[in-house]
Amino acid sequence: MTLATAIATGDLTQLPSRRDEDWRWTDLRGLIRVLPAASPAFDGDVGAGPFAADETVTIVNGHGPAAIAIPAGEARTVALRVVAATDGTAHAARLSVTLGQGARLTLLESHEGRAASYLTQTDLDVSLGEDAALERIVLVADHAEAVTIVDAAVTLAAGASFDQTILTAGARRQRIETRVSHPGQGAAVRLDGAYLLRDQRHADLTTVVTHAGRDGTTSQLTKGVVRDQARGVFQGRIVVERGADGTEARMGHHALILSDRAEVDAKPELLIFTDDVQCAHGNTVGALDEAAIFYARQRGMPEDVARAMLTEAFVGEVVERIEHEGAREIARAWVSQQLGAGE
Amino acid sequence: MAAVKETVAAVADLEKYQHGFVTDIEQDFAPKGLSTDIVRFISAKKNEPEWMLAWRLEAYERWLALEEPDWAKVNYPKIDYQDSYYYAAPSRKAGPMSLDEVDPDILETYKKLGIPLREQEVLAGVQGAPRYAVDAVFDSVSVVTTFKKELAAVGVIFCPISEAIREHPELVRKYLGSVVPVSDNYFACLNSAVFSDGSFVYIPPGVRCPMELSTYFRINAKDSGQFERTLIIADKGSYCSYLEGCTAPMRDENQLHAAVVELVILEDAEIKYSTVQNWYPGDPVTGKGGIYNFVTKRADCREARAKVSWTQVETGSAITWKYPSCVLRGDGSSGEFYSIAVTNGHQQADTGTKMIHLGANTKSRIISKGISAGKSSNTYRGLVSAHPKAVGSRNFTQCDSLLIGKDCAAHTVPYIEARNGQSVFEHEATTTRLSDDQLFYCQQRGLDTESAVALLVNGFVREVLQELPMEFAVEAQKLVAISLEGSVG
Repeated sequence: MTLATAIATGDLTQLPSRRDEDWRWTDLRGLIRVLPAASPAFDGDVGAGPFAADETVTIVNGHGPAAIAIPAGEARTVALRVVAATDGTAHAARLSVTLGQGARLTLLESHEGRAASYLTQTDLDVSLGEDAALERIVLVADHAEAVTIVDAAVTLAAGASFDQTILTAGARRQRIETRVSHPGQGAAVRLDGAYLLRDQRHADLTTVVTHAGRDGTTSQLTKGVVRDQARGVFQGRIVVERGADGTEARMGHHALILSDRAEVDAKPELLIFTDDVQCAHGNTVGALDEAAIFYARQRGMPEDVARAMLTEAFVGEVVERIEHEGAREIARAWVSQQLGAGE
Repeated sequence: MAAVKETVAAVADLEKYQHGFVTDIEQDFAPKGLSTDIVRFISAKKNEPEWMLAWRLEAYERWLALEEPDWAKVNYPKIDYQDSYYYAAPSRKAGPMSLDEVDPDILETYKKLGIPLREQEVLAGVQGAPRYAVDAVFDSVSVVTTFKKELAAVGVIFCPISEAIREHPELVRKYLGSVVPVSDNYFACLNSAVFSDGSFVYIPPGVRCPMELSTYFRINAKDSGQFERTLIIADKGSYCSYLEGCTAPMRDENQLHAAVVELVILEDAEIKYSTVQNWYPGDPVTGKGGIYNFVTKRADCREARAKVSWTQVETGSAITWKYPSCVLRGDGSSGEFYSIAVTNGHQQADTGTKMIHLGANTKSRIISKGISAGKSSNTYRGLVSAHPKAVGSRNFTQCDSLLIGKDCAAHTVPYIEARNGQSVFEHEATTTRLSDDQLFYCQQRGLDTESAVALLVNGFVREVLQELPMEFAVEAQKLVAISLEGSVG
C-alpha cells in the first residue's frame, strides 16, 4: 500500500491513511481525492542542481537511469538529481544503488520541484557489499503544493558503513523513509536529518533500523524547526532481533516549535529482543531557551539576531556531522537560507 | 546497609505465587455466556434502578458493534466471550451486613492474603500504626467495607458501587461514564454492560481523607471474569490516597479481568492512586493459565490545579493491557505516573500512560521502569500530547527497561504530539541488561546470585517504590523479588 502503487493502478484505496499506524501523522488517503494524470516525459532544460560532482545522474518526471553501480574497490562521488518538472501530474521512479566490496560512494542527492502540485514517489534500493561505505546527503526542495514520498531500503553487508543526512523544507505532504537492514558484524549506521518548515508545510522523517547480527552500531540525530502552521513528524524505530548481542544504538530527536500553531509529532521506538544491548533514545520538543536569548541580548545582540543565531546553532549539530566537505558547506548555506527566509 | 539487609530478608522469604489457593465456598452463578438476559440478571441481582439497567443495555448494544483491538504487542488465543461466567457471588449474602455475618471462609481467605478486615485487628497493632479502610471485592460482589462509620463522620462516602447506585444516585449519574465514556474502547464497553461491583468514593470539599482507602480484589470462581468498576470523586480542595490490590487462584484456564477506574478531580483536589497488581501470572514454565488483565483507568483533572498521581506495581497477570491516563483539563493541573512492570516466565505486558494536556500551565511526569526476564515481553506504550490551548505545559518522561536473559523482550513505544510553541516536552529512554560488573561486585561481597539480582533490581526501581505508601512499598519490594525468582542462572 503505497503512493507508487496508487499511481500505477489508479486505485485510491492503495493510499496509506491515518488508520495505518505507521502513517497516522501523514495521511494521504484523506488528502488525495483524485489521482492526477501520469507525468509526461520532459526534455526541456532543468537548470543546475544544488550539488556539483564529476558524475551526475538525472531523473526527470520519473524517467532516467535505473541503476548506479560502483564496482568493488572503487571510490566515486555522484550527484543524483530527481526532478519533477510538470504541474499537476503524478509519477514514480525506482533506482538501485549497488556498492561492491570495499567500494566507496558519496551520493549527493537532490529532489527538485520545478513545478507545483505534483505527486511523486521515488524508491531507492541500496545494497552495500562487505566493507563498502556510502555517504548519502539528501536535499529535498519540493514545491509547497507537492505531495512526495522518498523511500530508501538499505541492505548492508558485514563491515559496511552507511551515513545519511536528510535536509528538507517539507511540502504539502511529504514523507522521507529509510529502512535499513543492519547485519551487525562491525557494520555502522548513522542516520541524521533536519526539517525546517514554515507556512503550512509538512515533513515526515521515518526510519527503521533492524539489527539482525552481533556488534552493530547505530547513531541517529534528527532536528526540526517548525513555525507558522507547519507540521513536523519524526518516527524512528530501532529493532534488535534475537541474537543481535553487543548492539549499540542511540537515537535523538529534538525539535523547536517557533509559533503557536505549529505542530511536532514524534514516535521514537525501541523494540528489543535480546539482553546484551545498549540502546537509548532522547526526545525533546519545546521553544527556544529564553534564558539563552536574554544572555545574548544582555551582551548587546538584538533579539531577532539572537534567536536566529540560537536556531542556527541548534540545527548546526546535524550539519557538522556531514563528512563530505563540499556538501557540508552547501548544507550550512541551505540552513541559513531556510531560517532566514521570510524574516 | 539497612536496604541490603531488607532485601536479603525479602529474598529469604521467596516463595512461589503464594496467593494461588482456592476458597471452596458455595457460590451463585449466572448462567455462562453473555446476552441481554445476563445484563438484566446482573442488574436485577444488584437491585438497580431502571436508569442503570438502561445504561447497561445501551453499553451492551454498543459492545456488540465494536471489534476487539489487536494493536498491543501481546498475543493470546481468541477469547470466547460466551464461555465465561459474568456473575459469581458467594451465596448466603443478602445486602450490606456486619462483619460477623460474612462467611467465615471468606474471612479466612482475606486473613491468608494478609488483608485486615476486622477494624479492631487493624487497631490492635503498634500505637500510631497506619490504618486503612478496605473494600473487599470477592468475584462479583463486595463482601465487606470497613471503617465506613468513621469515614462518614467526616463526610467521606466509601462503599461498594452497587450500594452507591442505590443510595447516592445523583452522584453516580453525574459522574459515571463521564471520564471513560461507555464506548471508549472494547473492554471498557464490555465492563459498562456487565460490571458487578467495585468501589465508590466521594470526598467532600476541603476534606482530607483521614485514612488510606483501599480495595482488595479477589477472583475465586472458576471460568469467571471479574468486571469491577471504581469511581472516585475528589471535590474541591480535598485529598485522598487510594490503594488497590488483587490476586487470583492458580488455574490452567485463562480468566478475564476487565476493569474500569474513573477518577474525577475538581479544583485544588488531589488523588493518589496506587496499585499493586499480583494476579496469577500463569505457569512460569508452560505459560498455561493466568489472568488477562485488560483495564481502562483514567483520571480527569477537571478544574484548576487538580492533581493526580498514579503509581503501579505490575507483577502478575498472564497479559497486562493497561494505560492509566490523565486528562489535564484544568489550568495548572498536574498528573504523575510511576510504574514498575515486571514480567517473567511467559508473561506479556503492554502498559504505559497517556498525558493529555488541555489546560494552560499543566504539568506531567512519567517514570516507568520495565523489567523483563524469562521468555516474557514488556512494552511501554505512552502518549504525551499538548493541545494549542495548553500553553506553558511541561512533561518529563523517563522510561528505562532492564533485560534479564536472552529470550525476553523489552519495547518502548512513546508517542509525542506537541501542538503549541510554548510547551516543553522531554523524553528519555534506555534499555540495558543487568550489569555483569555490578552483579560481580555484589557476589564478591557474599551475596548469592538471586539476592544480588534482587538488590540491583530494587535499586533500578527505587524511584517508583518511593512513591508508594510505606506499608505497600515494603510489600511491593518483596513482590518484585519474588516475581524474578529463578530468572538468573
